[in-house]
Amino acid sequence: MEKLMDQDVFRKALEDAIKGKSANQAPFSKAWATGKLQKKHFARWAENHYHYVGPFADYLGYVYSNMPEEFTDAKDFLLQNMYEEEIGGDRHTDLLIRFAESCGTTRERIKNPDNMSPTTRGLQAWCYNVAMRENPIVAVAGLVVGLESQVPSIYRKQTPVLREKYGFSDEEVEFFDLHIVSDEIHGERGFQIVLEHANTVELQKKCLKICEIGAEMRLLYTTALFNDYVKNDLSLEELETAA
Amino acid sequence: MPFVRVISENKIIEENVTENTNLVVQAGIKKFPYPYLKYKCGMGTCGTCASLIISGKNNLPEPTWKEVKVLKEKLDLGYRLACQFRISHDIEIKQD
Repeated sequence: MEKLMDQDVFRKALEDAIKGKSANQAPFSKAWATGKLQKKHFARWAENHYHYVGPFADYLGYVYSNMPEEFTDAKDFLLQNMYEEEIGGDRHTDLLIRFAESCGTTRERIKNPDNMSPTTRGLQAWCYNVAMRENPIVAVAGLVVGLESQVPSIYRKQTPVLREKYGFSDEEVEFFDLHIVSDEIHGERGFQIVLEHANTVELQKKCLKICEIGAEMRLLYTTALFNDYVKNDLSLEELETAA
Repeated sequence: MPFVRVISENKIIEENVTENTNLVVQAGIKKFPYPYLKYKCGMGTCGTCASLIISGKNNLPEPTWKEVKVLKEKLDLGYRLACQFRISHDIEIKQD
């Protein structure tokens, strides 16, 4: 009979579930971190990324409504996360649009869902699916631990090159700076909630599985960005040589 | 491990933290100096986490462009935004 993992073991298992499929390994992420992308690629990225992260507060809103009333801490965290995404300071999507505009695209193009790839549409749909239909603790594991907690490590690699190689100004790359701090809080709070409330063997297994799937979905999305927008300008061989 | 003292609302709280700690991240995940550290946006915009650096100023990284923009002349008076720096040495801060 399977035993309930203690919190340290469970946390390590969650981290391992994400690590194996980290989006840092995707060609698009490698090309970004090594300065091989062109501004037009960043523009296409932003036109897709908007439709994945833009509804993040919506996803969390569904999870909030499913979260049991007595899980006050978890509910408060979700509410705070939503607040910070939208009205805590600058709206995060506005900062994404600011970066995208500096890459040559427009607010209209970014907000137009016709400009996202089918894979991005799939990632967005998966997020809504998890938020609406899963046990809320499992949903936090998938959306916050599996997806959001990866962001600081991704942006830590990707932000310096934006300033150093492409000469973007501080204001233009603010979207990335802020996520290094705010997603660190969100990811860690997500871990705390999952560790505390996934208190059955079955729930722990579901959380692990959805973390793995979440990381896979982000990896799939990032891989598709390379295939859809970059591969005609940069081959995988060139990228490997650069890396 | 850096030793951190926070003076806030007439309370003094202190603790060792791991190197490279950001106090707003700590408060956000409900660890020291939660609930005494005042902060709001966590992105260097609102200025709520503005803190007077009592000691340890010279060990901090240079102010970010956001601190320059938000704090203006308060920067010269020794204030910093706690959300904008990580701690690698002992420090004492005070919030108004």
